[in-house]
Amino acid sequence: MGSVKRKSVDESPSNYTPPPHKQPKDNNNNENRSIITNGEVDAGVACVHDVSYPENYVAVPRRSNVEEDSKPAKEFPFTLDPFQSEAINCLNAGESVMVSAHTSAGKTVVASYAIAMSLRDKQRVIYTSPIKALSNQKYREFKEEFSDVGLMTGDVTIEPNASCLVMTTEIWRSMQYKGSELTREVAWIIFDEVHYMRDRERGVVWEESIVMAPKNARFVFLSATVPNAKEFADWVAKVHQQPCHIVYTDYRPTPLQHYLFPTGGDGLYLVVDEKGKFREDSFQKALNALVPTNEKKDSGKWQKGLVNGRAGEDSDIFKMVKMIIQRQYDPVIIFSFSKRECEFLAMQMAKMDLNDDDEKVNTETIFWSAMDMLSDDDKKLPQVSNMLPLLKRGIGVHHSGLLPILKEVIEILFQEGLIKCLFATETFSIGLNMPAKTVVFSNVRKFDGDKFRWLSSGEYIQMSGRAGRRGIDDRGVCILMVDEKLEPSTAKMMVKGSADCLNSAFHLSYNMLLNQLRCEDGDPENLLRNSFYQFQADRAIPDLERQMKVLQEERDSIHIEEEDSLENYYSLLQQYKSLKKDVRDIIFSPRYCLPFLQPGRLVCVRCTNNDESTVAFSTEDHVTWGVIVNFQRVKSFSEDDADKSPEDANYTVDILTRCAVSKDELSKKTIKIIPIKEPGEPAVVTVPISQIDNLSSVRLIIAKDLLPLENRENTLKKVSEVLSRFSKQGLPLLDPEEDMKVQSGSYRKTVRRIEALESLFEKHEVAKSPLIEQKLKVLHKKKQITAQIKLIKKSMRSTSALAFKDELKARKRVLRRLGYVTRDDVVELKGKVACEISSADELVLTELMFNGVLKDIKIEELVSLLSCFVWQEKLQDAQKPREELDMLFTQLQDTARTVAKVQLECKVEIDVESFASSFRPDIMEAVYSWAKGSKFYEIMEITQVFEGSLIRGIRRMEEILQQLILAAKSIGEVELEAKFEDAVSKIKRDIVFAASLYL
Amino acid sequence: MRGMELPLNHTQKLRLQKALESLESLSSVTNSNASVTVADSIPVNQEDGVLKGHGTTELEGEVVATVCGVIERVNKLVYVRTLRARYKPEVGDIIVGRVIEVAPKRWRLEINFSQDAVLMLSSMNLPDGIQRRRTAVDELNMRSIFEEDDVICAEVRDFMRDGSLQLQARSQKYGKLERGQMLTISPYLVKRRKQHFHHLEQYGIDLILGCNGFIWVGEHVEIKDNMIEDEPTKPDSKNKKSQISTTLEEQEETYTTLETRQNICRIANAIRVLTTLGFSITLDVILEIVDLSTKKGLDIHEMLGAEFCVLVAEKEAERRSVSTRRKR
Repeated sequence: MGSVKRKSVDESPSNYTPPPHKQPKDNNNNENRSIITNGEVDAGVACVHDVSYPENYVAVPRRSNVEEDSKPAKEFPFTLDPFQSEAINCLNAGESVMVSAHTSAGKTVVASYAIAMSLRDKQRVIYTSPIKALSNQKYREFKEEFSDVGLMTGDVTIEPNASCLVMTTEIWRSMQYKGSELTREVAWIIFDEVHYMRDRERGVVWEESIVMAPKNARFVFLSATVPNAKEFADWVAKVHQQPCHIVYTDYRPTPLQHYLFPTGGDGLYLVVDEKGKFREDSFQKALNALVPTNEKKDSGKWQKGLVNGRAGEDSDIFKMVKMIIQRQYDPVIIFSFSKRECEFLAMQMAKMDLNDDDEKVNTETIFWSAMDMLSDDDKKLPQVSNMLPLLKRGIGVHHSGLLPILKEVIEILFQEGLIKCLFATETFSIGLNMPAKTVVFSNVRKFDGDKFRWLSSGEYIQMSGRAGRRGIDDRGVCILMVDEKLEPSTAKMMVKGSADCLNSAFHLSYNMLLNQLRCEDGDPENLLRNSFYQFQADRAIPDLERQMKVLQEERDSIHIEEEDSLENYYSLLQQYKSLKKDVRDIIFSPRYCLPFLQPGRLVCVRCTNNDESTVAFSTEDHVTWGVIVNFQRVKSFSEDDADKSPEDANYTVDILTRCAVSKDELSKKTIKIIPIKEPGEPAVVTVPISQIDNLSSVRLIIAKDLLPLENRENTLKKVSEVLSRFSKQGLPLLDPEEDMKVQSGSYRKTVRRIEALESLFEKHEVAKSPLIEQKLKVLHKKKQITAQIKLIKKSMRSTSALAFKDELKARKRVLRRLGYVTRDDVVELKGKVACEISSADELVLTELMFNGVLKDIKIEELVSLLSCFVWQEKLQDAQKPREELDMLFTQLQDTARTVAKVQLECKVEIDVESFASSFRPDIMEAVYSWAKGSKFYEIMEITQVFEGSLIRGIRRMEEILQQLILAAKSIGEVELEAKFEDAVSKIKRDIVFAASLYL
Repeated sequence: MRGMELPLNHTQKLRLQKALESLESLSSVTNSNASVTVADSIPVNQEDGVLKGHGTTELEGEVVATVCGVIERVNKLVYVRTLRARYKPEVGDIIVGRVIEVAPKRWRLEINFSQDAVLMLSSMNLPDGIQRRRTAVDELNMRSIFEEDDVICAEVRDFMRDGSLQLQARSQKYGKLERGQMLTISPYLVKRRKQHFHHLEQYGIDLILGCNGFIWVGEHVEIKDNMIEDEPTKPDSKNKKSQISTTLEEQEETYTTLETRQNICRIANAIRVLTTLGFSITLDVILEIVDLSTKKGLDIHEMLGAEFCVLVAEKEAERRSVSTRRKR
């Protein structure tokens, strides 16, 4: 049996516990079997090997031919790492394997072995990758090695009959839906970068492809390190009823050193050394070296601090690059998270020259020979002409906004070592082996579509994988530029954290449903049942059950005397509290209370209780007194902590009161408000209005300068004096109605109810019982547990049912309503059209087509209308398109709205307006004139978008047009078909469709 | 109802007439208006972009029908659905066809389409179930998979550029059909359904309603899923055996019992009756007719007689009137 497990002492993933030794034949029903053998284990290079077997799998004795052709299908000129030879053993045994390792570890070896093996056995093999550019590169790589290789992406098709086909995953999926002969001939399917499955938008494509893959095919999954590789393999084993091996390794051929570079400072601090040890002391030092941003002159633009620097000084990034070059840490890749930032940073390097004359000449030759395929007009594009001087100095930029051809030139130059310093976005971190010695993160925050967030440790691992060239560098360097916004714990998490889990991002689409319904054996429910999402959900159930059991036991073990009356009391208390809160909300709405927040007023503040569970169970609150110093408006929401409630987020009040100040180990101060009599420092704290309990009518005169400790101490003394003077009758408070002029009916009502409640408390039978407080605490806990159980039950109910079941029903309803399928799920004419459209919103486009909109308009208008389907970026100052186009766009939006409304009525969750505005008219004009025959530089003058983005948009439109041609053919509308074909010929020209340099 | 030649006696004629009349009155009126013959102009509102689908063309500013049939409209799309014409394939249809030629790497099939359909060798699962490229040897052995005159079930995969049709056999349940009979009826009588394969357990019969109007009624065959790869030696030995000659045992294995044969014929005849009357063929209706015939204690051959035909017409009229009444 090929189930061998190798384990080194310290490198095994923590979630894996080795099963006991077992003879494989004894437990055929056991899902996981593995034998542990201790081969020659080199501590650094070790890998973990495990196998997932499907349930009830009866192991077929290994075919005898393994020995016969023991000669490997491919021999490598170097000794294989253990994980590579482990994986190749599985391939030789004819079983699927999932290889999970770092980008630089050499997973390609496994893929190319699988290809060699299939070619030897006259079988076909498919290699899928998530990105077109990557497919092109891989195609070239394999073509050189194996020659019988073809390529299929949305843009190009080369030798579709070759034995080894490189394609994008989307193409493979649609081939499976169409039942291409490939599905009967392919023996091995290689999914590269399979961790893309967690991609929100496209991840579902991987799931579909894997579920629908032919039953007799075997798989090779190549993925970045994922902690739950086992789970994934279990899923594959279950869906395809075949064993699936996992080879996991944390091994990096070149070890990494992680440094911090505090902004404003000028030095590197080693925080993780090449052995993976975290150095606490230098981590502290690095944080201490941070120059606080607010001391800078340009503190308002703290984000830009990195690039601006102080006047007259070099920017941080310049200093950094200079240092890297001096220490000979080049070549270096500097990652940032937006295209604009990337270019901006590159501009900072204007003074730097990293290439000697020879290299300059080389660069220029390579550059122009690549640009040769462009027309003269295109060579004059600003992006082309501006790039060369930069490249000649050894500085490059790489992001998706570049012309594809430029991007490829830069990749080639980088591989040739002619670019010493490359500014890149995240996309550079996946795919082909393009390592550097050093990787710099210019920023640690990333915009992920909704908001800025910290880089996850998985992303960090992926990108830092580019550091360290195998065989050249003895270690890779990884530099993190941090500013004050970074919490130490976050930084630590990022640098030392584990890889991201591989979680399903499954969702339904109409195209998927229709394609499934169209085939005789197809059944969308079947797809759902077999999805990784469902698998993960099913897995969670036993865990949830266990949790619930524990909680239930805990709840049952709590016994309380007089529970009923206590509960009654408890609910009264809850009511009382919520009423109190209502009153406070009214009084302390900024409208009423702002005039009274003058400096010097004594206020009653609630103490900070660090522990949420100790909610006070009496009518008394835990309060203390302080003096208002100031109040201010909070400037923006975005910088706010999440735990501030929205209604008071606008104002905060500075209060001088007694505080306990403590420092934790990371030198972060925590300030707690404590009762005034307790020992502590007098300090000014900023609290949200909601933390103020009462305003007194007393005002003190406070010292102007509160910075000296004495002044503060004195002021607090005065406060205590006032308090003791009024100790008998209590401090006079501002009366809400008389003083603060609160005029609101609801206020009076609530106050009356509070009074009523208070009298109830007095009379209550348990109120006088001595241990009331403890008892209430116990009851409170019990209530909380009950609530938790309820929550778990709910999530269990939703997982035990088929995931997406309701959504599936709703979406089917939509299809029926719009006439795409009949009541018996037979796909109608409209449905067949929508089946063909997979690169744009299928419903809206189909509706447009059937409403005859596409029929009447001119070809240029048609093309520019389609541009709304592919363009998603929002442009700030995009001008409105001309009237005809605008009318078309309105028509499109109307259709989108109707479609969205139908969906809403059928209970699909959708926001009509945001759906309608997801179609962007921003590049309509540009595309219009492109279809008219304008030169590319001319259309670039019309719009503000990046060249590369526009090209990608137009290429995708061509894809849609091809799909529309098929659709028109299926309804027999010849004129429309001819029109679409015309449109294709109009847009498919020049630089936009210039062939990739890799082909 | 054209071409129906039944030896009806007077009362039967009257009963049939009555049944048919009642059927006619039940059918929706709008449909009858929408039927066109070749060169009839189709009324459309020319102003807003009309999509002219199958069976239509533009002639002197008018949309004109190029075939006889019924006008169908979907939003702005107008097309003519033909009635008694050859089969018009759509991608994804299940069809039954007969092999007429074994050609290089492909079989040609008669499927009642205007052209022969093509089933590529690569669109078939190999008998050994192994995923691999087709070799020259496979090509030579094509006749061991299908020969001329074999009846095959397949799915419409794609149209080629020249308008010819590509078929495919997605899984094991497609392929050669044996031990049964194939009926040929007008394609319009077969409605597209989610399911075209039916296994009638009570009769032990497989029924395949091909969208092209070829209908297969045959003994039920268990689909063997050769998913788990057999050892390569196994199929070899089997092949050798079959090559020698079909042994007695194997003949017995392939023997169809009399009862099954009768069931096949009964169902086939039920379909025949329905076809002569021009009723659309669905599983429910077929089973109803079969039940009716057994209830009346009719022999299989009697099902084609005039009396039963009239009975079926009456029953169908009754059924439809009940269902329309229910709808109302």
